[in-house]
Formats: sequence, structure tokens, C-alpha cells
Amino acid sequence: MRQAIVRGDPSTYPDWFDGKRRQRPLIVSRWVPIAMVGLPVAVLLAIVIYPTVWMFYHSLRDTNITGLFTGNHAYIGFANYATVLGSERFQDSLIHLLQYLSFGAVLQVILGTVLALILYEVVRSNLWRTVILILVVLPMMLPPSIVGVLWRFLLTPSNGAVNQALLDLGLISAHIEWFNAGISLWSIIIADVWNWTALPFLIVYSGRVSLPPAVYEAARVDGAGQWKVVRRITLPMLKEVIAIAFILRFTDAFKFVDLVYVMTSGGPAQSSELPTYIAFQRGIREFAIGEAAAYAIIIFAISAVIVTLFLQYMKRVMRAQGLA
Amino acid sequence: MSNVILSKVNKIYGAGRTGVHAVRDLDLTVNDGEFMALLGPSGCGKTSTLRMIVGLEAITSGDIHFGGVRVNDLEPRERNVAMAFETYALYPNFTVEENLAFPLEVRGVPADERRRRARELAELLRITEILTARPPVLSGGQQQRVSLGRALIREPAVFILDEVMSHLDAHLKFQMLFDLKRLHQELRRTMIYVTHDQVEALALADRVAVMSNAALQQVGDRNALYNRPTNMFVADFIGEPPTTFIAVERCDRAGAIELRAIGADIVFDVAAERASALDAHGGRRFTVGIRPQNLYPCDHDPRMAGKVVINEYLGERSILSIVTGDVTLRALVPPETRLAPGDHAGFSLDPRDVMIFDTESGVLVA
Ligand SMILES: Nc1ncnc2c1ncn2[C@@H]1O[C@H](COP(=O)(O)OP(=O)(O)O)[C@@H](O)[C@H]1O
Ligand SMILES: [Mg+2]
Repeated sequence: MRQAIVRGDPSTYPDWFDGKRRQRPLIVSRWVPIAMVGLPVAVLLAIVIYPTVWMFYHSLRDTNITGLFTGNHAYIGFANYATVLGSERFQDSLIHLLQYLSFGAVLQVILGTVLALILYEVVRSNLWRTVILILVVLPMMLPPSIVGVLWRFLLTPSNGAVNQALLDLGLISAHIEWFNAGISLWSIIIADVWNWTALPFLIVYSGRVSLPPAVYEAARVDGAGQWKVVRRITLPMLKEVIAIAFILRFTDAFKFVDLVYVMTSGGPAQSSELPTYIAFQRGIREFAIGEAAAYAIIIFAISAVIVTLFLQYMKRVMRAQGLA
Repeated sequence: MSNVILSKVNKIYGAGRTGVHAVRDLDLTVNDGEFMALLGPSGCGKTSTLRMIVGLEAITSGDIHFGGVRVNDLEPRERNVAMAFETYALYPNFTVEENLAFPLEVRGVPADERRRRARELAELLRITEILTARPPVLSGGQQQRVSLGRALIREPAVFILDEVMSHLDAHLKFQMLFDLKRLHQELRRTMIYVTHDQVEALALADRVAVMSNAALQQVGDRNALYNRPTNMFVADFIGEPPTTFIAVERCDRAGAIELRAIGADIVFDVAAERASALDAHGGRRFTVGIRPQNLYPCDHDPRMAGKVVINEYLGERSILSIVTGDVTLRALVPPETRLAPGDHAGFSLDPRDVMIFDTESGVLVA
């Protein structure tokens, strides 16, 4: 039953209301709320909206470095986009990106998930769990530039540790030329997997820890074996969590420059270039501002489509489970 | 099919001074095909006992045998038990139908057979309309029935049901009690049913085991618990409204024994056949228990009389609270009894209905 509350008549106050406390009006200048909302909006405008608009503007113009500073650039319609989309270099880099996504990002999530579940199901002692957790997470704490340098050393064909180990184990009979065309992108993927598998691992592990133990007791009583439990119960319950790990790794892939830059500089002969790296190369190195901007907008569009698809999927999953 | 025998079973959670002794020296035999209820107040160790029987909790000491086989170290699935959890423990990513059928799925039962059995059970449990829903959107009572159904879908050696009706409304609970009883009569499997509600326990079970404070108090059928409770706890816990306890003193008069209430003018006669038990006990002070059902309103020469303080009308009966001296009695009377607070009321009783307990230990003397 709802009761009308009459201002100033304590007999109508609900019992949770402390009648003794007078509501004092909060007196501040009317600029305070405007400033509190305005400041973040201003920052957002400055670091996100403005550059994006700026970039879109220049992607439609023939801006180069001198033009940028002298203001001497002209509208050329979608010519920059045509150049980018028509260039073999960009098309190749898209294939590289696909290769990187499906072997790098996907592998990281799969590997991270498997490691996380093994750690949780197999290792029972809390001490060992913590130790292993820290060991797995260590690579993630290194900046990618360091990881790149590290792996360039490890993969050096003539005397690198990896080739040496493979030779010693008898798995190969001659050095693998890790930085030749066709292989160099794989080298980058290996380094990236080493660097970033810990992220999906951490996400999935914490997801597994928070699953309700009672459900697993029910499965034990119902007589389900361990593999059945993982396949039918654990993985489906971790679906959203794994999807989030995917989103994080996928969005990262679209701003992935550092390892490429440090390890191969996109080479040899542009064979390990990713779209972002070309944008960086064209804009910062070769000062083709307009074309670089077109690259950036295209990459933005592709990643926006992929993330939107993912979010749609998440929404469907959550709705199916009655969570949204 | 098998019987279940617990011998000197103990459960201690944790260790040392912080350890919780949840089950103490429990000896209990559940016969093959019997419906046994485990009844006791919340926190007395019922769930802990069940979890040890099922195999989800390590047994601190003692043995559990299923049909002669010691099962202490067996996994739940090797014990062939089915359990409905107090907390439901449904699979949140499955539909209700998948939840119900999962024990069959694990056993490789073909999909259409699973479907048929799940639908059958859903009909029994009145959850047909939610078969395609998932647990997070269901109400507590619906989840509880799904959980019960998942336990009932296969035919294990022992069914273990932990508070499976606690969240059902009275009407539904009544129907479900009836259905469960019928199901048991069809299947004739051993069932152990935990509840804190004596109505459920007495309605369903062949025998009831009453627990309190981690220990078993008494095992028996309705009659034994009601008429011959082993101690004051059982006398108090079984029966609604609860038993009235009155401190009394023994007075011997001309060969007959009388028990006189301390602080009130009430005298209980002790039948000759019970006098020897009192003699054997030797004490002079006892506690007498009288069930409210056993006091009969009587205007002529009553055994006890007092002033009505409350008349609770409960539909098909009324509970009177009567004060006489320092004692407050409760009496169950027909609803047409027109007694208002302040009225004077007299009661008679049958001496055989008086339960006499040792005041210190609470154990039944006679
Ligand atoms: N996992 C546990 N760890 C520690 N104490 C527990 C645990 N489970 C139950 N207990 C304690 O054991 C006692 C009995 O609990 P429980 O068997 O759940 O009682 P009931 O089912 O009769 O309500 C309670 O005091 C409870 O706090
Ligand atoms: Mg319990």
C-alpha cells in the first residue's frame, strides 16, 4: 500500500525516514554542475571527437606535410579511399590482418581459456595456483617494444635460442629463417601470443572462479564426467566472458603497430604489414596525411563493424539466459 | 535398491578451536524402500548429514553403508544417489527441460526418450509451461520444483531430498506432498527427505528422525514421536501448538503419587503403572509436559482452572492461553468455544496424556 507523504507532516513520513534530519538545500554556484559535466565533455571533445573529425576532414583532401602547415590542400572527394582500397599493399595487409586475427588473437583466446581451465581444474593447491598465475601473467607486464626486441633475439636465425633449441631437440635439421618473407608475420604472431595470451587467461580464470560451486556438485551427483562438465556446463557458462576476451584482443589487433615496427618493420618487402602499420608508415614517415587519414577511417569502420557484431551476439546470449 | 546405514558418523568442519561439530555420533538405519524424514531446526546438521550420504562431503569419522557396501570413499555417481539441493543448484545455461533431462543425458539415454521422461515429470510437478525457460527467470518455487524433478527423473538406489518444498505456497505444497508420497509408493525406493517442517515430515515419512544440535534425538513413526517423545526437545518440537511444560514436585499421599505444580494450583495424578518409573528415578522434582490437544474444556469439577488471556481463532480450531498462578497453559479447543480474555475456564485431562521428564537432562521418565 502506498501512502501519500505530506511535506512538513511527520505523521505521514515512512518509517525509514529520519524525521529529525532537515533537508538542507545544497547551495553551490550554478556553474559547479556545468563545470563538472563540462570538463569531461571538453576533454572528450579534445582527444576523441576533434581528432576524428579532423581525420575525416583530411581523408577527403590531398593534404601532405607542407600542405598541412601552409593550409594548402584541396578537396578531392573519395580519391584517397579509392587509392587505399585499390592498392595491392592494402589488400595484402588485410589478408595479413586476417591471418593475424585467426591465428594470433584466436589462438590467444583458445590457449588462454585452455590454460585457465587446466589451472583451475587440475591444480588444487592455492599456493601453486598463485605461483602459476604470476608466471603466466609475467609476459603481459612487458611493453610490446621490449617483447619485440626480445623475440628478435630469440628468433635470430643463425644463433637464436629458438632455432638452437629446435635443432637440439632434433625437430629441424636446418635453421628456420624466421624473418624471411612468408615467415616473418608468423614470428610476429608467435611473439604476440607469448605477450598477450595472459589476458584471455586472466579473464577466463576469474570467470571460472566466480561460477557457482553448487552447480558442479549437482553435476557430480548427476554423474557427469569431467569432460562432459567442461563441454556442457563450464564453457557455455563462460560464453560471455570468452566473448569479452575476444573483443579485447580483436580491438587490439586494429591498433597493432609496435611489434611489427620493432620486429620486421613490415618487411621483408611489406610481407608482414598490417593496415595500421601502413597508416603509420604513410602518415608519419611519408607525410601523406590525407591517405593515412583514409586508412585510419577504413580501419575504424572495419573494427566498428566487428565489435558491433560481437556486441549483438553478446546481447543475444545474455537475453537467452534471461540476463538482459 | 538398498538400505542406508550410518554408524557413529561425525562431521567437523575446519579444525581446532574454530572447528564446527556439525554432526555428532549419528547412528541411523534407513530400511530398503523406506521413506525417512530427517527433521530438525535450521542449523542442526541435516544438510551436512545428507552431503555425507551423497558423497559431497568427507566423513570426519564413522561409516556409511549402502546395502552392505561401505561407501565412505566412493564418488557420488558410484553411490547411485540422486539429490535435490536446498539451494536448487540448477544449470543456469540449460532450459528447464535440459535441466530435468541432464542426468539421463549423462547416462546416454536417447534424446526422444529424455524428452518424454522430462515432459512426464514436468506434468507431475506442474511446470509444463516453463519447460523452455531458463532458471534465472524462474521464481523460487518453480526452481525448486525443477530441482526436485531433476532428482526424480532417474531411479537411483537412494533419493536424497533437501528441503524441497520450503518455497512452495501451502496449497501447492499439499498437492506436491501427495504426489511425492504416491510416487514413493509406486517406486518403492529408499528416500531420505530433509525438512524443518514437521507437517511435511509427519505427512510423508514412514519414520521420522529428529535431530537437534548436531545429534539424533529420536527415530520413530508419528505415534512414537507424539506420544512417547524421548526427551523434552522432541516433545516441544513435534506437535503444534507446542507442548506446555510445568515444573512439578512429587507428593506421596496414601499410597498414590501426585505431582503438584510449583507456583500454581494444579495437581497431576500419576497412574499406578507409571509410579514404578518415578520410584526408579528417585528424584522429587520433575517437569511435566501436556499437549494443548489433551486439555478438554470442562465446567464441572475441573482438574485445573485459570483465566483466559488470549483466544486465537484459527478456523477449524482455537488456541486458548490460560494463566493460573505462575503457569501459562495452552489448550486447543473447538472454534465454537466462546471464551473471551478475562473469562474463567476449567479443564480436565487424562492422566495417561501427561508426559513426565527429568528436569535436568530433559529425558522422558514416564
Ligand atoms: N562448509 C561449512 N563450513 C563450516 N561450517 C559449516 C559448513 N556447512 C555447514 N556448516 C555449519 O554446520 C552446522 C550445520 O549446518 P547444516 O548441516 O547446513 O544444517 P541444516 O541443514 O540442518 O540447517 C551449522 O552450524 C553450519 O553453520
Ligand atoms: Mg539445510
